[in-house]
Amino acid sequence: MFLTLLKKELFVELRNKEVILSMLAFGLTVLLIFSFSLSGNPKINHEMAPGLFWSLVVLSSSLGLHRLFGQEKDFDAFASLLSAPIDRGTLFLAKWMSGILFLSIIEILVVLPFFLFLGLSQPMSYLPGIGIVLLGNLGIVAVGVIVSGLAMRAKMSAVLLPVLLFPLITPLLIACVKATTGWYHQLMFNYWQFWVLIMATYVVIFGLAGYVFFDHITEE
Amino acid sequence: MSFLFQERFLRILFIISIILMVVNLYAIFFIAPMVPEQHYAQKIFYIHVPIAWSGFLSYFIVMVAGIMFFIKKDSYWDRVGLAAAEIGTLFVALVLITGPIWATPIWGKPWIWEPRLTTTLILFLIYMGYFMLRKFGGHPERVARYAAVLGILAFLDVPLIFYSVKFWAPQFQLHPQSEMGQQPDGILRVFLFSMFTFTILYILMLRFRVKILNFHYKLKTNNV
Repeated sequence: MFLTLLKKELFVELRNKEVILSMLAFGLTVLLIFSFSLSGNPKINHEMAPGLFWSLVVLSSSLGLHRLFGQEKDFDAFASLLSAPIDRGTLFLAKWMSGILFLSIIEILVVLPFFLFLGLSQPMSYLPGIGIVLLGNLGIVAVGVIVSGLAMRAKMSAVLLPVLLFPLITPLLIACVKATTGWYHQLMFNYWQFWVLIMATYVVIFGLAGYVFFDHITEE
Repeated sequence: MSFLFQERFLRILFIISIILMVVNLYAIFFIAPMVPEQHYAQKIFYIHVPIAWSGFLSYFIVMVAGIMFFIKKDSYWDRVGLAAAEIGTLFVALVLITGPIWATPIWGKPWIWEPRLTTTLILFLIYMGYFMLRKFGGHPERVARYAAVLGILAFLDVPLIFYSVKFWAPQFQLHPQSEMGQQPDGILRVFLFSMFTFTILYILMLRFRVKILNFHYKLKTNNV
């Protein structure tokens, strides 16, 4: 059932590309603003790169997460989905995984202009960075799906989503920036392993919370 | 207003709160010894810490009310959660006002990213979203469920916020409270008395607010 739901999410997105296009356009625009707001000094950009990257991810994801339930809301398809004999936890997992996939695609598309525009040097190794980004995506999207579900039927849902999302993901954002700084500035793993632990704890807590509470969130 | 005082317990609690508050203020200004380096600025500590404690207690009650709401399926627990969230946010807002007042003479600047103060600020922001969700969430039954979920999630986030801020900026770990052990005798007694007084005040406020919300609910459902 999970795979069927995931396929449905991917199929809908492939058809209209609503989430990916909105995130990509917004991400590139934010990147342009970052480039002009900073002094243009590569040394300063190098120092600030991890924070800027995660700011870009969080800002872009808030837009994409808002559209995660967009199709169901616009066409009133959520009621039909809920009337099907599907475990709501599985529904959460499908939304979570599809959200991570969309966010990862955006990151892949944005990372090259990010390095180019800010004049950043290449990292020494890629694998730990990919791991950190994936863990960060897991946490952001877990909370994002919960919050998006809460805001879905509300008035002013576009405003409500970031207002709820940003403070809730603060500890994750701090950990993401710190872990990325450790990796990108080539510090020993001992110096930033604590932050990976915080990220993992966050993912477990909010992943479980989403699985458990999605039933109450989606109830009509 | 008279319906608030129909219960004998609340009448007694109300009178006790007034007496305790007057005695507390007297103890803070006339019994507690002066701290040489901090002078009168230190007096706000007897207000700041107890309201911070009451604020966090209140958010804990929001979480408990959320869990009880899902177990009992009774809207009473939604009203308890709302009352606790309102009072908690009022207290937390006061913490964010009194904190910088106290910090200015002690740290030399009104704001530093100290974990307790930062956790309080982030919780305050989460609860701004909580009230927006309550206002714009739509159907009351749905809003009650959503508020319960958010109340639980917000409290689960507290230890993560605290520890991430603590290790994010280790240079800002000097909270004035950590110097308590070196303060003159007599401070602890007044401090504990103030904690007790504000806890009683908090319980009274919560009971009053729940009573008012129950009354509103009965009016809406024509059960009055």
